[in-house]
Amino acid sequence: MRQLTILLLFLTLTASLSAQDDLMNMLKDTTAAETNYATATFKSTRVMNGHSIERMAPGQLDVRISHRFGLLNSGAYEFFGLDQSNIHLSLEYGITKWLMVGIGRGSYEKTFDGFAKFSILRQSSGAKVMPVSLSAMTSVAATSLKWADPSRQNYFSSRLSYVGQVLVARKISQSFSLQLAPTFVHRNLVATEFDPNDLYAMGAGGRMKLTKRISINAEYYYMFNPKSYMSQQVYNPLTIGFDIETGGHVFQLLFTNSLAMTEKGFIGETTGSWLKGGIHFGFNISRVFTLKN
Amino acid sequence: MKRRLLYFVTIVTIIIAVSSCFYDNEEALYPSLNTTCDTTNVTYSGKVVPILANNCLSCHSNATAASAGGNIALENFADVNSQAASISAAINHTGPLSPMPKNGSKLKACLISTFDIWVRNGKPNN
Repeated sequence: MRQLTILLLFLTLTASLSAQDDLMNMLKDTTAAETNYATATFKSTRVMNGHSIERMAPGQLDVRISHRFGLLNSGAYEFFGLDQSNIHLSLEYGITKWLMVGIGRGSYEKTFDGFAKFSILRQSSGAKVMPVSLSAMTSVAATSLKWADPSRQNYFSSRLSYVGQVLVARKISQSFSLQLAPTFVHRNLVATEFDPNDLYAMGAGGRMKLTKRISINAEYYYMFNPKSYMSQQVYNPLTIGFDIETGGHVFQLLFTNSLAMTEKGFIGETTGSWLKGGIHFGFNISRVFTLKN
Repeated sequence: MKRRLLYFVTIVTIIIAVSSCFYDNEEALYPSLNTTCDTTNVTYSGKVVPILANNCLSCHSNATAASAGGNIALENFADVNSQAASISAAINHTGPLSPMPKNGSKLKACLISTFDIWVRNGKPNN
C-alpha cells in the first residue's frame, strides 16, 4: 500500500518515464520473491488404503487405528460384517522435513510392518514453480501366522515382503487433488510357480472437497500382472470413502473390496469383487500428537 | 549425530532388505507337496484329518476351542461330522459364517475341494 502511494506520488510529480520503470521493477522484486507451497493436497498420509504424498511434520506423531469389517452382504446375523473385524494399528512419526517413518501391526496374516516415506518435490508456485509433489515410499512387512506345516523346513525370509512406491500428486484446485502411484511389490514366498513374486501396479487416487471439513476420496490400483494364471482369483482394489476432519482427528469412512490395509495385501491378495458383493465397510482414524516443536 | 544415526539405520535397512530377497514358491521349495490335486481316495483319516490338523486345530482343538475357537472343536470325528456343512461354508467363504482361516487367506483350492468331496461322499469315518 505504501509503495503504491509512493508510486502514485512519483507518477504525478515527475514527468520522467524512466523513474516509473524503476519503481515498477522494485515492486516486482518485492512481490516475486515468495514461493507458495501447496498444502493439504490430501488430508491424511493415506488416500484410503494406500499412501498419499503427505507426510508428518517433524516432531509429530500420528496414531492410526484402522478397521476393515466383514462382507457387507453377510446378513443381519453377522450384523452386515461388523461382527468380524480386521485391525491395523500404527505409529507414524515425522523425523525431518522430508522423512517420515512408521511401524504397524495388522491382524490380516498377523503382519508387522514398517515404512519410510521421503518427500522429494513439493508442488509450488511463485518464485519456484513446481507442478507436482513427489514422494517415495518403501516398506517391509513380516507375517507372523503359525506355519501351515510346522514339520517342514520353514524360513523366516518366507514371511517377508517389500514395497517400493513413487507418489506423484497435484493439487489441481482448492478442492480437487489427484495422485498417481506406480508401485512395486515383492513377495519372498508365493503359493505356486504361477504366482509372480514381483507385482507391478499403478495406483490412482483423488480427493474432492465437498465442504470445509468433508471430502470424498477414491482410490484404485491396477495390477499389471495377468491375473488369470494365479492360483487364487484376485481383483484390483477399489476404495471409495469420505475424509471427515474434526479438531485434531481425521476420520476416513470407506467402502472397499480389500480386507488388507498394507500394499502387499490389497494389491496382490484382494479376493473380493465389487460386482459380486465382496464389499467391506471400514474406517481409519488418525490422531496427531505434537511431541516436539 | 542425528544425521549419522539416520545414515546408519538407512544402510542397515538396505542391507537387510537386499540380503533377504528371495524368489520362492511353495511348490518348488517343498517338492513333497502334490503339485497336482489328488482327489481320489479321499478318506477321513488320510485326507481330512491332515487338513484340519494343519489349518484348523491351532484354534479348534479340544484344548483350545473354548478360548480361541469360539467353542467349536474339530478334533473328534463326531464334531467334524456334525459341523461339516458349516466348515464347508466357512472355508469356501460363502456362507453367513466367519470366513476361515481367520485373518488368513482362503485355503488352497485343492484342500477345499478335498474336504467338499469327503462331505459329498457322505462323510465316511474311514
